[in-house]
Amino acid sequence: MFRSRSWFGGAWGRPKNPHSLERLKYLHNILCKNTTVSENNRGTLVESLRCIAEILIWGDQNDSSVFDFFLEKNMLSYFLKIMRQKCGGSSYVCVQLLQTLNILFENIRNETSLYYLLSNNHVNSIIVHKFDFSDEEVMAYYISFLKTLSLKLNNHTIHFFYNEHTKDFPLYTEAIKFFNHSESMVRIAVRTLTLNVYRVQDASMLRFIRDRTAAPYFSNLVWFIGKHILELDTCVRNDADHQSQQKLDDLVAEHLDHLHYINDILCLNIPDLNDVLTEHLLHKLLIPLYIYSLTSDSTRRPTPSPYNRDHIQSIEAITRNLEAILKGKNAEVSPTRITFPRQRIESDDESKPSVSCVVALFLLSQVFLIITHGPIVHALAWIILQSDISVFEDGATSILEMYISNAKSSVKLEFSKPQLSLEKALENTSGYERDYTTPEYSGSKTFGLEDTDQSSCDLDPELVSTSLPSTSQMSESSSVAHDSTEDLVTQIHFMKSGASLKENMPDSPLPDSGIESSSSKTTSELNNITDEEKQKLLGVATTSSSDRVITLENILDRENREIEKRPFLKTILDSLDCNENDYKALFALCLLFALINNKGVNTELLDTLLCPELDSNKEISVARESSISQNETTSTQDHTSTPTHSRKSMQSFNALLISKLMTIANLSCKPASKVRLVTLELSVTLVRIAMQGASGVAGARHIAFAEGLRGRAAALARNFYKCDDIFLDMFEDEYCEMSKRPLNVEWLCMDAAILLPPTRTPMSGIAFAKRLPSGEMERARRAIRSFFLIRDLYMKLTGKQETQLPLTNPAPFVQVGDVLDLNDSDLISCDIIQKDDTWHHRFLAVDNIQIILVEPDKQRLGWGVAKLVGSLQDLEIQGDKEDPRCLHLTIHKPRVGASGALPRTILLRAKFKFDDHIRSMAAKQRLTKGRTKSRQKKMQQIGRLLEVSGISAPTLVPRHRPLFSRPGLTAIRRSTGGDADDAERRLRRPSAHMLKDGVVVYRERTTSRESSVSRSSSTHGSRDGSPRARSEEIPLEDIRRNASFATCMPSTSVAQAQPSTSTQLPKPTVSAETSFISGEPRPKRKGIVETI
Amino acid sequence: MAYAYLFKYIIIGDTGVGKSCLLLQFTDKRFQPVHDLTIGVEFGARMITIDGKQIKLQIWDTAGQEAFRSITRSYYRGAAGALLVYDITRRETFNHLTTWLEDARQHSNSNMVIMLIGNKSDLESRREVKKEEGEAFAREHGLVFMETSAKTAANVEEAFINTAKEIYEKIQEGVFDINNEANGIKIGPQHSAVGGASGAGGAGAGGAAGGGCC
Ligand SMILES: Nc1nc2c(ncn2[C@@H]2O[C@H](COP(=O)(O)OP(=O)(O)OP(=O)(O)O)[C@@H](O)[C@H]2O)c(=O)[nH]1
Ligand SMILES: [Mg+2]
Repeated sequence: MFRSRSWFGGAWGRPKNPHSLERLKYLHNILCKNTTVSENNRGTLVESLRCIAEILIWGDQNDSSVFDFFLEKNMLSYFLKIMRQKCGGSSYVCVQLLQTLNILFENIRNETSLYYLLSNNHVNSIIVHKFDFSDEEVMAYYISFLKTLSLKLNNHTIHFFYNEHTKDFPLYTEAIKFFNHSESMVRIAVRTLTLNVYRVQDASMLRFIRDRTAAPYFSNLVWFIGKHILELDTCVRNDADHQSQQKLDDLVAEHLDHLHYINDILCLNIPDLNDVLTEHLLHKLLIPLYIYSLTSDSTRRPTPSPYNRDHIQSIEAITRNLEAILKGKNAEVSPTRITFPRQRIESDDESKPSVSCVVALFLLSQVFLIITHGPIVHALAWIILQSDISVFEDGATSILEMYISNAKSSVKLEFSKPQLSLEKALENTSGYERDYTTPEYSGSKTFGLEDTDQSSCDLDPELVSTSLPSTSQMSESSSVAHDSTEDLVTQIHFMKSGASLKENMPDSPLPDSGIESSSSKTTSELNNITDEEKQKLLGVATTSSSDRVITLENILDRENREIEKRPFLKTILDSLDCNENDYKALFALCLLFALINNKGVNTELLDTLLCPELDSNKEISVARESSISQNETTSTQDHTSTPTHSRKSMQSFNALLISKLMTIANLSCKPASKVRLVTLELSVTLVRIAMQGASGVAGARHIAFAEGLRGRAAALARNFYKCDDIFLDMFEDEYCEMSKRPLNVEWLCMDAAILLPPTRTPMSGIAFAKRLPSGEMERARRAIRSFFLIRDLYMKLTGKQETQLPLTNPAPFVQVGDVLDLNDSDLISCDIIQKDDTWHHRFLAVDNIQIILVEPDKQRLGWGVAKLVGSLQDLEIQGDKEDPRCLHLTIHKPRVGASGALPRTILLRAKFKFDDHIRSMAAKQRLTKGRTKSRQKKMQQIGRLLEVSGISAPTLVPRHRPLFSRPGLTAIRRSTGGDADDAERRLRRPSAHMLKDGVVVYRERTTSRESSVSRSSSTHGSRDGSPRARSEEIPLEDIRRNASFATCMPSTSVAQAQPSTSTQLPKPTVSAETSFISGEPRPKRKGIVETI
Repeated sequence: MAYAYLFKYIIIGDTGVGKSCLLLQFTDKRFQPVHDLTIGVEFGARMITIDGKQIKLQIWDTAGQEAFRSITRSYYRGAAGALLVYDITRRETFNHLTTWLEDARQHSNSNMVIMLIGNKSDLESRREVKKEEGEAFAREHGLVFMETSAKTAANVEEAFINTAKEIYEKIQEGVFDINNEANGIKIGPQHSAVGGASGAGGAGAGGAAGGGCC
């Protein structure tokens, strides 16, 4: 207490105790005396408000009389009085006032205190007060205040904010007016508040939200999302050179925010709210803007389009027809009878906003990745997958009814600006300019609360209710408010005849400019088929299927024909064409992936993509059934397919999808392909899903496809095999990279960079997988990665277990701490000097695949403890310019087992000082050779994977030569048979024994693979019997000997039969070189070594 | 109130670690060690001076948003600085840091400055997380670290100001795109090309709820 500050300069004789009722009385007095804010008393008022907050919190926890006094004196009304004054510096006072309220509401723990504070409606008056929101600080404190209040909402407190009788909820309605505020933190606060409100789950309140605010709020929300994506689209169109990536990033992130927000609302599972939101989303945004745009390129672009004139017309017709269906659900009004007024559509481009197909695909992917609310995603999926020409021809009026639970839907299917701004729509709930005699509101009254009114918050509920339009769908020219009760038919007619309607009608002439056919050859070919030809083909299809000789060609043919009737699905599948580039294809893949993996999409619907052609199924199933369903199939094709139709009637595009995906995969096996790795990875993922279908098992035909593909991928990678010095490193790095970062489509779709046309240059900052390779090196990497991806597909389809990747070194490994019998080994004594000048003495030993630094074992002569084990393969060796006795080594961790898929880690980087330059040279030579050889072995493994000719039989390659080589023993392994990996696994038997002091002791065993470090249960007894490995004379000899292994194989098979004890082994002679290298200059150590 | 820059901060960390208290302690210094009363708030702004320049800090607490993914996402993105707070008397709050950091890194712009804060340093007797552990974590993840007490105000100023300094340095280095308000940085009226007297609002009033006059 003594440390507390002197807040008032002690001038006014205030009570000493800052936390007391007296003090509050004193402050009350100050407020009374300063009812008018002026330059002079501003500071005093701010101080008082600050102290009031503190005392109240203290009182809340310690002295209830404090709160009683506060309420009794109605002190909040002083707050209101201060707020309502407009004078110099009022925002300064207002800010403190709001902060005091924030503190108050956030820190009060006592429920009753809270209720008292809320009970007299002052808080609502404060909420509706029109602060100077142009002041960013006032805005920030105000919105924080509202957010803080929203955190206090629960089933009890909600009644202080939401007045059931007056139908008034200022906290909510005031807040959502700022939903599109320029300041992101304000927008976020509004969103938080809305979510906090919705989750209170008070039925009456939610009804209010739905009836009075949902339509205006959601329609505005949806409109702004739409505006946003138009901006995004412009940004994409105008940025071929990747200039505004940052801006694009923001726009994409913003779109994701929107979707997540919508998803958060939907996930609260408030049926009434979800219906309204779903309706607005579908009708005002997702269908008119996202889905329409899938086919929009053809109409908008003067650039070549894959669609011919007829096609465009049908798409237009379909979309328009869909609109009619979504708009009115009057089943009796058949769309064929809905005659659209003919109208010129010169102004089409301006009037019907759309985004490019690429953006539409991208955005739809995001939608399917984020939103799982069934009615939305299922309806969208249905439209994409199922809506077909029959929608136009036969008028399936009720098609979408089942998805839209609110049958009274009056939300026009159009992306258009809401008639009223949200602010306007909600205006009547607050503020002092409450005059609602605006023309939009027939019968509106003047709002109750005047600026000076202190009773406050007797908001007129009638007004709020009557004046809020339930939707904002009216066309801009319309000055008549439509509410949801308006007769739908009239409304449709009104809109149809409205001169301001800018929609183009199905049969209106099309701009000539945009029709030339383009790039996509297959598409144009298909489009060139005339209707008669189509009919004929259809006839052929029926006959062929009745013959029940179903070839893949037949199926594909039919699917290719059928797809013509599915404009949206066709766009997606056509986008998979990567002949020119894979720009669009990537998004089409993302969309397909997202759609297939979305939990909210009915799995039966997905059969369109995932189930093989019906007929082929039937062949497997009962033959009797086939003819029946055959008829069904044909009949549905003739008439209409509705989502209610049984699975049997569904036209599948599985074969077509697979063929398109396989084309991408095949393309990427070409050296100059324009397929990015990420595109390949997605294609491969999808092709697997599509091939495995519902059964989860791929057919023989598909496996054959994959097999062929794997061959091509291997062939591509083979081109780079060995022609590059660092091929092995690339190979392992790529594998590691791939395992580290498996494809995450959600993350992929967060990356705005993919929205820009594919680029090659790494200087774009775009990750390798998301751009094309630049230069030979990257082409090699790409080929390797493609191989991995395709091999993985093959393995998964065939159900085989991957045993050859990651490349692994043969076990066993010497590990740090292992005690090794080094009698008669090549050891080179050296001093290791690290950067920080730390200094160690070690002996350097070299195995086939590893470099080992040992320290003599104190207990047993000739044995050593491994202090560091590194991989030879990754060893970096450098001479020292100044001192010929020195080498600079960088030692990496060995790659064992699964760690082969991990990046290299450096174990030690140090200067190695040898006794003289000869030993230094010997070490260098030995290490270099060892490195080369260990790399050669891995290259051979790769060679086998890539089917490089001449490296076919793994058994011919000695994959491991132990530290202490005994040719006979080494051969044992080789003779164990064809499967090297099998042998390896069998030989890997752990037999470590911990001794009491925690030291693990190892002893040699006969099996060569474990001989160098085989484990034993005792520390003694084996020394004499332990085999003396024949020393390596000079490293060069190794190669010769290794080369001879292959030839001496049969002769050594005898060794197999030998028991696994070491005693029977011949005792090799001591190598002169060993003692030479390891001993001399260090008498002490020399002694140890030489006692052998 | 005119400023050269406005930096937006967020405060993240487990519940109860003292985020709200730190915020109020910083923005309104006067809630100093009065009786055991620690008061918190979820938003605050305060003016500081760096390099002779007036810089306004706006601190947005993330309280109450955890349940909603959309909200956390956008919060991160709109901030130039983040205070990642744990409670030195509760180890689990320290253990959760990795998750917080992952979230932050995933959603924020890559330049966001993150300051690690071990709060409640006044409760030495109940300490569960050693200072060295905090330091090690910060080093490992490239964060600045400090132990603070919202109760005694120890290091609170420093934590917020040092973060601001780092952001300021990044601006000087040209790392931040200051014209993009989505980064959580705003250029003050006198800096902007438009130069309108917009920000003045309250006729040159003092730092509003900010500290100041005592
Ligand atoms: N002793 C001590 N207590 C503190 C300190 N900071 C906060 N507290 C107390 O810790 C508790 C939680 O503080 P808050 O600031 O509400 O925590 P928060 O991080 O905002 O928690 P949420 O809002 O729930 O996320 C309160 O009871 C504070 O009094 C501190 O530095 N020292
Ligand atoms: Mg808090």
